[in-house]
Amino acid sequence: VRTDARTEDLLRELAPQVLGRLVRRHGQFDACEDAVQEALLAAARQWPEQGVPDDPRSWLVTVASRRLVDLWRSESARQRREEVAAALDPLSPAQSSDQDDTLRLLFLCCHPSLSVSSQLALTLRAVGGLTTAEIARAFLVPETTMAQRISRAKQSIKAAGLTFALPVESERPDRLRVVLHVLYLVFNEGYTASSGAALHRSDLTNEAVRLARLLHQLVPQEAEAAALLALLLLTDARRASRTHADGSVVPLAEQRRDLWNKTQIDEGVALITRTLGTTRIGPYQLQAAIAAVHDEAPSDDETDWPQILALYEVLERVSPGPIVTLNRAVALARVDGPWAGLALLGTLDGDDRMAHTHRLDAVRAHLLELAGDPAAARESYLRAARATASLPEQRYLALHAARLH
Amino acid sequence: VKYMIMMFGSSAGMMETRSKEWILEMIEFMHQLDRDLTDAGELVSSEGLADGTQAKTVTFQKGTTVVTDGPFAESKESVIGFWIVDVESQARAVEIASRVVAFTHGPIEVRQVMDAPPEV
Repeated sequence: VRTDARTEDLLRELAPQVLGRLVRRHGQFDACEDAVQEALLAAARQWPEQGVPDDPRSWLVTVASRRLVDLWRSESARQRREEVAAALDPLSPAQSSDQDDTLRLLFLCCHPSLSVSSQLALTLRAVGGLTTAEIARAFLVPETTMAQRISRAKQSIKAAGLTFALPVESERPDRLRVVLHVLYLVFNEGYTASSGAALHRSDLTNEAVRLARLLHQLVPQEAEAAALLALLLLTDARRASRTHADGSVVPLAEQRRDLWNKTQIDEGVALITRTLGTTRIGPYQLQAAIAAVHDEAPSDDETDWPQILALYEVLERVSPGPIVTLNRAVALARVDGPWAGLALLGTLDGDDRMAHTHRLDAVRAHLLELAGDPAAARESYLRAARATASLPEQRYLALHAARLH
Repeated sequence: VKYMIMMFGSSAGMMETRSKEWILEMIEFMHQLDRDLTDAGELVSSEGLADGTQAKTVTFQKGTTVVTDGPFAESKESVIGFWIVDVESQARAVEIASRVVAFTHGPIEVRQVMDAPPEV
């Protein structure tokens, strides 16, 4: 069902609020979620023709509640007894606001007991208000597959007896970390399609930015949530310059900076500047700060590499991992020369976590080329090209290898 | 009628021997082919596969499953990509395959997808 953009925006904004109200009233997440999807579809059909109702939220709640009753009627008495037994405890309506509901939904959809692919799909549907067909298209899988994935995720919620409540204070940091990670993965899935020919699928990146903005509004005091929004804005700002018209990759150093989105950069920089230093430093704050240094540099040569290197050193202490070390090696090479970077890369050889990624060889190839060793650089480019699962990246790496032939 | 057009070869081998200019032409050729098949209303799907060196082969030996590294065939040539097209005839599928082979010089296999209705 296609609808105009304004109706679409309104529906997506209201979707989690309507679902929250229904779950609070009736306690059955899976049935309520189906009912809300049907109400959204009805609205997308009717509103553009008949006009938006005076109170669109109440309209959706009423239509969704009616669908819920229809769903219950059509089920056998036995099934109904089982469902009621498995129902979540309804909360008293006075205890909650639409804002709290949306946050509860996010925590529920990103519950650690669900698989990552379930967390992503369920968040996009229940909180993002996307249809199953839209989510399927974004992840390049058949609609029936995605429908099944969502349905299984909802069954898991039921089976695990998860409640529609905010996590207790002691669990909150861990639970928030999962929510942030899910939004980060949605963005990444869109930004660097993990396989296939298209390097980015902007639907997913846009949706991740929208949801990160929503989360930041719900928990404005959480520095890492603010930083995630900043990081996504500062990364997405470079989208237009990341690929040529034919889909081939343009590395950061060669990107046309006049194509970068100034509005997004300004917002991201303001956000991370406001956030840094207000609380304990976290990985998203550091990554956003690094992205801000890149985005503010007028050219690659004028980038403040010593500052980026210093930020990576802190990031490695706060959140160590081979990919952080890899990125630090790139910064180190820019500050102290390619051999210093290559020496640091050497510490990652034999790290099992790097065995299945092409990135170590890709970076090594680049640094070897800078160091003036074209034969070794070519070997590394070819090894990286063999290992990548991204077609545009494979072509990029193969071209660099061929150039050194 | 649907056909699967399977391209054989080794992307690693291609990358090691071809020039930069050839790779650029190849990229443009593949884009153009996808555009043409889409415009003709014939493309169902197309995918490129990661290099065969990344493959795993699972076989049944002495009553149990065995996983080995690399592609199934001993030779270096394995499937590196495929198109599924919905075309009027086998001749048309072969025509599409021939266009690719004329460019890549690598072998292609054209196989009908079994989606015909059963005879009554």
